[in-house]
Amino acid sequence: MIHIENLVKRYGNLTALDHLNLDIQKGEVFGLLGPNGSGKTTAINCLLALLKYEKGTITIFGKPMRPDSYDIKRDIGVVMQNVAVFDQMSVYENIDYFCGLYVKNKAERRALVEDAIIFSGLEDFRKMRPKKLSGGLLRRLNIACGIVHKPKLIILDEPTVAVDPQSRNRILEGILELNRQGSTIIYTSHYMEEVEQICSRIAIIDHGHVLATGTTEELKKMIKTGETITIEAIALDEGALKDILALPHVFDINYEEQVLKIRLNGARHNLVRILNYLQEHDISFGRVFSELPTLNDVFLEITGKELRD
Amino acid sequence: MLHLLKYRFLQTLRNYSMMFWALVFPIILGTFFYFSFGTSGAEGWGETEWESVKTAVIEEDSASENAQIFLEFLNRLDGDILDLKRVSSESEALKALTNEKVRGIFYVKETPSLTVAENGIPESILTSLLDNYNQNTAMFREIAETHPEKLKEASSALENYRTLLREESLGGNSLDPNVQYFFALIAYACLSGAFLGVHSSFDSQANLSSLGARRSITPTHKLKLVLVDMTVLVTIHFINILILNLYITQALGISLGSDISSLLLVDFMGSTIGIAIGLALGCISKFSLGTKLNATVAITLVPGFLAGLMFGNMKNIIELHCPIINRINPAAVLSDAFYCMSIYNDMERFVRCIIILAAMSILLVFLAFLGIRRDCYDSI
Repeated sequence: MIHIENLVKRYGNLTALDHLNLDIQKGEVFGLLGPNGSGKTTAINCLLALLKYEKGTITIFGKPMRPDSYDIKRDIGVVMQNVAVFDQMSVYENIDYFCGLYVKNKAERRALVEDAIIFSGLEDFRKMRPKKLSGGLLRRLNIACGIVHKPKLIILDEPTVAVDPQSRNRILEGILELNRQGSTIIYTSHYMEEVEQICSRIAIIDHGHVLATGTTEELKKMIKTGETITIEAIALDEGALKDILALPHVFDINYEEQVLKIRLNGARHNLVRILNYLQEHDISFGRVFSELPTLNDVFLEITGKELRD
Repeated sequence: MLHLLKYRFLQTLRNYSMMFWALVFPIILGTFFYFSFGTSGAEGWGETEWESVKTAVIEEDSASENAQIFLEFLNRLDGDILDLKRVSSESEALKALTNEKVRGIFYVKETPSLTVAENGIPESILTSLLDNYNQNTAMFREIAETHPEKLKEASSALENYRTLLREESLGGNSLDPNVQYFFALIAYACLSGAFLGVHSSFDSQANLSSLGARRSITPTHKLKLVLVDMTVLVTIHFINILILNLYITQALGISLGSDISSLLLVDFMGSTIGIAIGLALGCISKFSLGTKLNATVAITLVPGFLAGLMFGNMKNIIELHCPIINRINPAAVLSDAFYCMSIYNDMERFVRCIIILAAMSILLVFLAFLGIRRDCYDSI
């Protein structure tokens, strides 16, 4: 459905997109995951032909995307990172206005606007002006304006920034519902939990190029980390740290402020082996927990830094 | 289309700060004018006693046939519209002009010319006289070459010109100079529509606003968006100008003349050119809104200054040294249209002004469309 090949975008000396390659299939919920400034929004803006780029090709629905590709734009819905609604118009009027930019038929438009209002849970706020809405409701209005015409492709650029948990869950559920209704979704975020929760396939992006692409499971299999064990309130000397690092399957340890983080590859009984060592050496400790690898671990292992750095 | 028009109307009308500057501010300014300049214009037209315009005449080339015709033309107006003072040297004439003993100097030569020191109704009448004489002269030459038998008839027409000028310029019309401030105010209000245009273009460009980005990625053609904006803004701005006219005439009691249809036409073309300037300025360049608004201030003030809306004689200085500026400066053209309508009653010149304003508006809207038609930005 979408093919991006060798996309290069520079802002002066800064290379925002560095030979970015992406292929997105019909029916996917495709996540673009990366820290702030990694190039996600730039990639989206190039995809929408809003930004010039130095090199590369972009095709959507098999056709090259240009600023005057009105036939392609008809089937795309975009939810921008910043709320883009008219303050002078009510919730209903805003949704109706943006729907009118895509749909000419009045009866069809009315039905679509009603659907969008119900979908975004704005039934009780249809006459309110945006300035009177809470942050979460405003985001929902922003989404409603972007998807009201029921497009085949929906691009959501960090739609949950500064949104309360209740609205966030509603938005994420809504995105999955849109996908179930047949829309292909591109979802950009730096919240790995969200991406992990809703995306069927993910591209991890940093410094303007794709580091890895795959399903959550495929991405996790790409890395050494099979498990991370965290032990709090533990006092260790250099010798003990060396001993732990030498235990089977342990490949990395991090000890800061009496918190020990041990990264191990995917073997069984890792936690038992660590606890046995601490018991044998009479080392006292506080809370202990074990975590399976997250997308943050994938990002950490690939780039050497945390997603939210 | 109606759907887009409806919502653009609502959105613009509910933008109260923008409407304040477009509608309320000129009304407040008009009220200040009214109290500052007194109520001398309030009693209506035709009340001011007419005085002949004191004018110096220098015969530089009395041998020339054209100079003779021009001198004859001036003599016919002497003691009626003009009060001629013959001077032998230019320095004497300039001294009289500087001391305001005369309002202008006519140079009688093969190609007659005029020097004025200020901008005012007497000076405008002198300019108009010279313009009309030049137009008629060209006509005479053409008639002499093509139909010499009709030359006598044409000469009679020239004689009638004096009566015509007197009747049309003065018959029923006051030349109260205070009224010109209200025309200047209307011209300023028309041009300040540029602010509405710039604000509107802000909503069309992805590099300036999220709304611009959202509107840029819809399948609605850019030309349609520009035309919708233009239609809505011109209508709203025209209504604003009509309200200002009504306020000046009904609340302040200042008469803007009896030719309502011409006044409406100038108001409409003024509104159109104001909005078109704003749209073009907003859409062509890729600067921030702040920079564009600053440029709009300049765009509304500089032409106004060059047209003499702030410094009286400027328009005549421009006319003398670089007349093309007066032909393309929308403020000067607007001001000229108001004068043609209310003072000169020069329909040909009035029509020329309206055509210039219409042509410039079309050109500017086209440029605005070109500016955003296939816009793709370096950065957002």
